[in-house]
Amino acid sequence: MIQKPTLKSSLKSLLYIAPMMLIVGTFNLYPIVRSFLMSFYADYNIFTGEVSSYGINNFIDIFKDPEFILAIRNTFIFVLGVVPASIAISLGIAILLNRVQVLSGFFRSIYFLPFVTSTVAISIVWGWIYHSRFGLLNYALGLLGFSPIEFLTDPSNSMLALIIMAIWKGLGFNIILFLVGLNNIDGNYYSAAKIDGAKGWQRFTNITLPLLGPTMFLVSVMGVINSFKVFDEVFALFQSRPGPAGSAMTVVYYIFQKFYQESQYGIAAAAGIVLFLIILVFTLVQMAFNKKFVHY
Amino acid sequence: MEEVNHKETPLMTKLFKARKKSETETVKDSNPASKIAVYILLTIGSFTMLIPFLWMISTALKSPAEAVAMPPVWIPQIFRIENFARAFEVAPFGRYFLNSVLITSISTLGELLTTILAAFAFAKMKFYGKNLLFTILIATMMVPGELLIIPNYLTISKLNLINTYSAMILPYLASVFSVFMLKQNFESVPNELYYAAKVDGTSDFKFLWMIMVPLSKSAIVAVAILKIIGSWNSFMWPLIVTNERLLRPLPVGLQAFTTEAGTQYELLMAASTIVIAPMIIIYLFLQRYIIMGVAKSGLKG
Amino acid sequence: MQVQFKDVTMSYGDKEVLEKINFTIPEGKLVSILGPSGCGKSTTLMLISGLTYPSNGQIYFGDKEVTKQDAVKRKVGMVFQNYALYPHLTILENIMFPLKMEKMPKNKRKERALELARLVQIEEQVDKKPKQLSGGQQQRVAIARALAKEPSILLMDEPLSNLDARLRIEMREEIRRIQQETGVTTVFVTHDQEEALSISDEVMVLNEGAIQQNSDPITLYHKPKNRFVAQFLGTPVINTIKVADHPELLNRLRLSEIMKPEVQSIGIRAENIKVTTIESEALLSGIVNHVSRVGKDTTVYIEVNGHSLVATNLGVIPEEGTMIHITADIEEIHLFNFNGKVIELEAVK
Repeated sequence: MIQKPTLKSSLKSLLYIAPMMLIVGTFNLYPIVRSFLMSFYADYNIFTGEVSSYGINNFIDIFKDPEFILAIRNTFIFVLGVVPASIAISLGIAILLNRVQVLSGFFRSIYFLPFVTSTVAISIVWGWIYHSRFGLLNYALGLLGFSPIEFLTDPSNSMLALIIMAIWKGLGFNIILFLVGLNNIDGNYYSAAKIDGAKGWQRFTNITLPLLGPTMFLVSVMGVINSFKVFDEVFALFQSRPGPAGSAMTVVYYIFQKFYQESQYGIAAAAGIVLFLIILVFTLVQMAFNKKFVHY
Repeated sequence: MEEVNHKETPLMTKLFKARKKSETETVKDSNPASKIAVYILLTIGSFTMLIPFLWMISTALKSPAEAVAMPPVWIPQIFRIENFARAFEVAPFGRYFLNSVLITSISTLGELLTTILAAFAFAKMKFYGKNLLFTILIATMMVPGELLIIPNYLTISKLNLINTYSAMILPYLASVFSVFMLKQNFESVPNELYYAAKVDGTSDFKFLWMIMVPLSKSAIVAVAILKIIGSWNSFMWPLIVTNERLLRPLPVGLQAFTTEAGTQYELLMAASTIVIAPMIIIYLFLQRYIIMGVAKSGLKG
Repeated sequence: MQVQFKDVTMSYGDKEVLEKINFTIPEGKLVSILGPSGCGKSTTLMLISGLTYPSNGQIYFGDKEVTKQDAVKRKVGMVFQNYALYPHLTILENIMFPLKMEKMPKNKRKERALELARLVQIEEQVDKKPKQLSGGQQQRVAIARALAKEPSILLMDEPLSNLDARLRIEMREEIRRIQQETGVTTVFVTHDQEEALSISDEVMVLNEGAIQQNSDPITLYHKPKNRFVAQFLGTPVINTIKVADHPELLNRLRLSEIMKPEVQSIGIRAENIKVTTIESEALLSGIVNHVSRVGKDTTVYIEVNGHSLVATNLGVIPEEGTMIHITADIEEIHLFNFNGKVIELEAVK
């Protein structure tokens, strides 16, 4: 039954949304506006809060800052290293899980376990596994005849260490989404394909993959967005440093450093805006891609 | 009345119960050998997933010598439970733990209260500008939370709340995501039920708490658990707004402990276990709600 | 409680759903509101309930104006198409719910609820949850809940349409019985004409936001006020014949010269068509197109100048392909003017 809002019903509703709006307004809406403004602070007194002039200096500064360029580069490496691999592995596991009945729930629970654990705590555990002398991973590599790898102290390996751990941590989440997606595919398609003579792999490429389009889109968008925001892992894995010799500097770490350690609010805000724009562009591109290639 | 639980059961059935349609597929096309191969792959995979946890617990129970032994020892000679006690001595983990419990429970209860009220207004009440406001709120979900940290820090310091529990709780007393999730669920409660309750003499407020909330129990539990996990594990914000040791929640305390414990890996692993274990216990008991929450957030996000 | 609408108009935005409707529902009666979907019948019910308020006009319960009062003040009981039972409460708790809202003491509440459960014959199910009950049983619970607070009026919104055919007939009788036992004024909304005709003391036919006719079922069927009512009621649909296609009709009906130009078409129900052997007495003549026999019923399709007429009660069963002459008693023939209104037969004679 459609009924139009009245002044009375509006006032009453206001009471219901007011507590939420107070918090969200103060800590979500207002800061968005304020960040945008702050990124354009050209001259700012952090003690008095006075802004003497606005400009795009902050943006110019960060793009001249090799550390920021490195942060962007590393973040992209991280996203490219984590998202495709994570999607491939989790899709594989989801398909396997979907093919068994017995113990399927048990396996799923295990794959999902990292999702509920503290990133900081598990990063410390991984730091121990990566240990160059006593670490489990180097021991295993040694058994296979490889010489130990300095995961956490060699700048050229720090991103690799980060990526492996992030894939491990994020699998469970993607697996759940893929399981839902797989279950939404009508079994009749498979029967029809079987009658049409499609073999297992052909059924996968011709039915599973295309019909999983929306899930794939979702998983990749969420994966990209989350990966762009990587911070806790870096902080905990490299003992409050952005990797050896700053080699694992990421955009969010850069924001944290500029803001928290160097009190350069304008620079930090500008970096935050750049992060936001990158995420926005990626999401829009993925949406366009989704529209073009996923039909139904 | 089926329509209410309806919304949840198909999903739950899909994830937890009979997989009827794929069953027919598997039964027909997989010979025993390929089935065994699937199980072997899944077992290897889950073992790989478990290694960090097993290694953490194993190390947490070792002597210092065993911890750095090469080749690695999986099962220590004696289970040194006292490592946990020592971790509590070296750093105030008891206090950290209480801090985490306090922050997590207050922000979860607070968020439930604010979001249930707001979600109800968005789902069932009529007011001017409802759609516009909701669109704005949804749009804010696009903005990375990390961007908000700077102005929020300034707000908190302006309110003179740096180094207080309030600083860690206040910003998390509401969540657009939870409003969104609950609104979807509340909308699935049929309008007739609302009218019936109106005729029966309930006010909107009573209807919300006596009918709507009990009916949406599983969605609310799912939202609450996702919140508990997020709150328990949150790191950057508490790190920024506290520098007093006794106010730290567990992840921040644990991070600081890495420098305090130095190379005593058995203590570090014991401390990590203290941080991780409560969420794993919650997960083991309530995993269907967590997985439902994730699946639903995925479906909508 | 008697309910009265005075010039009630209801519009959503620009769309007028009800336009200045007036009616009175007499106390203690069971009145159906009948009409096709979108005719405004559910809106009318919502307006009676006080869950929505009219854009214009007044509503009276007895002689008290209640236009701006809500459902609780009006003390209405309501039964919904999908039952709208609270799924998390037991049957007994469901029935007690309105009493709890009235703050009736707990033991009295329970006593009253059990009494109602007995009335609707579900006293053995009271500890179950709604989901465990069949559709018919759930509807009984919904009725008990609606009656719990001794409503001034009982409103039922398509209460039977979610039930299967057999249960629908059973529940129809049950509603009638319960209404008569309690004597509560009841308004019953339906789109099913058979349901409305069989259950009600009075039927109000609604179409396009206006009342077409408001009378007892027998009058409604035999003396429809306009073509819409004539066509909406009865299966098969009444035969209508345009005068323009059969100019001879007017003479054969022996209408007065003043009447003749006013008649646009005539309507004859299928069961009223009779066969006559005397061609001069016949209204129309046609070829038997098809004879269909289903069980005891025989339906004859007669083609008259390219139009098909249906007859169900011819007495004799003609052969397909033969020519027959048909007529009907003058009292059973409905004359419609160019606005679709019925021209009263008294005026014709």
